[in-house]
Amino acid sequence: MDACLAVEREVDKVSSKFVSLRDHTENTVDELSSSIESIRNELNEVPGDRELTPAQSLILSQSIRRVKDAVSRMSTEHKDLHGSVSKVGKAVDRNFVTDFSSVIIDNAFEGDWKQRILDEVICEHFLRQGMLDIAEALNEEAMLNIDGTSKEPFLELHRILNGLKQKNLEPALRWAEQNRNGLIEINSSIEFKLHRLQFIDLIRQGPERQLEALMYTRNFAPFATHHAKELQVLMGSLLYLRQGIHISPYAYLLDPIYWDEICDVFTRDACALMGMSVESPLSISIRAGCVALPPLLKIKQVMQQRQVSGVWSSKDELPVEIDLGEEYRYHSIFACPILRQQSNDINPPMRLICGHVISKDALNKLSNGTKVKCPYCPMEQVPVEAKMIYF
Amino acid sequence: MADVKSLEHTTLKVPYELLNKKFRSAQKNIDREVSKVQGAGNDLETCLQQNTVTVGEVTKALDSVVEKLTFLKRKADESINDELDAARMIKRRVEHLKESECLHPDTKPLWQKKRLDRMLVEFFLRAGYYNSALKLAEHSELEDLTNIDLFFTSKEVEESLLRHETAPCLNWCYENKSKLRKLKSNLEFNLRTQEFIELIRNNKRLEAVRHARKYFTSIESDQMPDVQKVMGLLAFSSNTQLKPYKNLLDMCRWTDLVHQFRQENFKLHQLNTSSMFTVTLQAGLSALKTPLCYKTDGDRNPNCPVCSRHLNELGKPLPYAHCANSKLICPISGLPLNEHNPPMVLPNGHVYGFNSLANMSTSNDGKLVCPRTKEIYGLEEAEKVYVM
Repeated sequence: MDACLAVEREVDKVSSKFVSLRDHTENTVDELSSSIESIRNELNEVPGDRELTPAQSLILSQSIRRVKDAVSRMSTEHKDLHGSVSKVGKAVDRNFVTDFSSVIIDNAFEGDWKQRILDEVICEHFLRQGMLDIAEALNEEAMLNIDGTSKEPFLELHRILNGLKQKNLEPALRWAEQNRNGLIEINSSIEFKLHRLQFIDLIRQGPERQLEALMYTRNFAPFATHHAKELQVLMGSLLYLRQGIHISPYAYLLDPIYWDEICDVFTRDACALMGMSVESPLSISIRAGCVALPPLLKIKQVMQQRQVSGVWSSKDELPVEIDLGEEYRYHSIFACPILRQQSNDINPPMRLICGHVISKDALNKLSNGTKVKCPYCPMEQVPVEAKMIYF
Repeated sequence: MADVKSLEHTTLKVPYELLNKKFRSAQKNIDREVSKVQGAGNDLETCLQQNTVTVGEVTKALDSVVEKLTFLKRKADESINDELDAARMIKRRVEHLKESECLHPDTKPLWQKKRLDRMLVEFFLRAGYYNSALKLAEHSELEDLTNIDLFFTSKEVEESLLRHETAPCLNWCYENKSKLRKLKSNLEFNLRTQEFIELIRNNKRLEAVRHARKYFTSIESDQMPDVQKVMGLLAFSSNTQLKPYKNLLDMCRWTDLVHQFRQENFKLHQLNTSSMFTVTLQAGLSALKTPLCYKTDGDRNPNCPVCSRHLNELGKPLPYAHCANSKLICPISGLPLNEHNPPMVLPNGHVYGFNSLANMSTSNDGKLVCPRTKEIYGLEEAEKVYVM
């Protein structure tokens, strides 16, 4: 916040100075003009071929000197603002980071091949966001030649999603039916949820559509085993059809939140079915980068002060741990609490009899011949009883 | 706030450079008008110094002073308003950045999305994807927050270079003369050289010599070898196969000029050589990168950005995340393992979250099927694991 405020302060200062300078110049020029004009008007009263009296000449030369002084002052006054202007630039430089030289690998993303991959990532990002015209523009300008077939799934996804947003279940139902086997494999209940929404929509319209609703229940047959409880609820709601669902114990079924939910569920399941992440990988990476950059820049500063060069070059690992939060965890990482090292195939995690986990190297170091004492509890045990585990 | 501090330098620096430019041109305008007023004043003074002056002559001179003063007023007004506009642009951007501080959790994703779009606009502009940049900026209402205008002036110059016209680029060099000199740019020299080469190509050798005389005499001493080499062209025909001269006549020198112009333009506006987008993407991929992302397919997680096909490739040269503390997730649910969802190990050594195992057991008649080995156990066989 300080950074923005510092810049804002300077900008405000310079703006107010500009405003006052503008008003000031306007006033002085107006004053000068009017004084000259009044002299001229006086002169106008005498015939044009009359000679100037010495007194008039004196007044004139005095006022003309005043004009010259005033305008040259104006120029200097404007020039004096240069300091305030450049203070804005200095505030920007002082408060914002300009130099990323040692926290990034300079040519990591350079070259035509990498540029192309980047372009493709971005194009896919826009396709996922439904910003199809931008994806198309990029496709054209970057000459990516992404053809219709790879775009089609995204287009379909957005068609269906738009349908859902307008409370049209037809395209989604068709899609769910087509992909039924795949959806069952990933334990998705989207098809049931779609049918349920359709059914709720029917009973919402009251007794006139009772028959239709009853007919529709046939669609639930395939879900009887997995969704028995929810089906009972739906059938129970039929009892209140006549007096109105909205004043029955089943009123909650009409909650519009189910429509929001179905959009989320659909996006999640459709992405899972296509083997894609729910959110655009690009958005996630950039968000992670925004979290990671400040600590990296800070550690760079510290390391430079201590004259340790190259934050990233020394090892194939970042110099600090960056806590992105739990939502950014995609893999289990076991770091040995004794050696503070990530486990790997050669140094896997081992579970001691007491349940505590340390790395194999740590176990070897701690074991004393045939015995080892758990570093976290009093239990003594034989090292060979420790078991390799997989996270 | 720290992320704004680390990421947004160009967002503010570029409009500042614009303000600075406006200031200098305003000073020039005002000075010009001031000197005109003073010229008119001087005329009047010489007029007064004559022995006999008629009122008519004086009123004429006075009229001209008044006229010049009105010009000055108008010009000063215009120029200062331009400066104020430039200052307002900075202010608007500062305000947008300030918003990030007091974001409601609901609006935060929107702000972040806008930030990504801003980065992408800049990335597009740098890559020369002007149409995409413009469309994206329009779509996300970023016109005020990105440096589109700057790049569009450069677009015109670039296009003219690709049409083999040097005039717009030379004009640009002239406009930014003092700054380019400070940067020790040799762009102007390269443009003149190219003009020379084109004259040779069209077999206008006499004109080429005239051109050389005009522009190559005032060069820096370190450019001498280049001049000598280029002058050598005079002796060869334009279809020569001799290596150094053939290279000089190569058309790809024009694209090199485009690239050089682009770089100089970045430097001039204090833009980094790499875009914020790539810097942030690098940092982000590194922070997310684990050795597991590069192992066999079984370890990949479709939700992990680094595991996705393209980003995996981009992430290859980058360092891994540093991990001194264990970060465990349940392989079944993807949820973190902690005191609310303790890790449990099956007899085969595979670890899962308690919640997932309990769910599986209730929906599966008390049986657990290890998703990785398909071995079958009972829930009571799972043992607790303590990870410090």
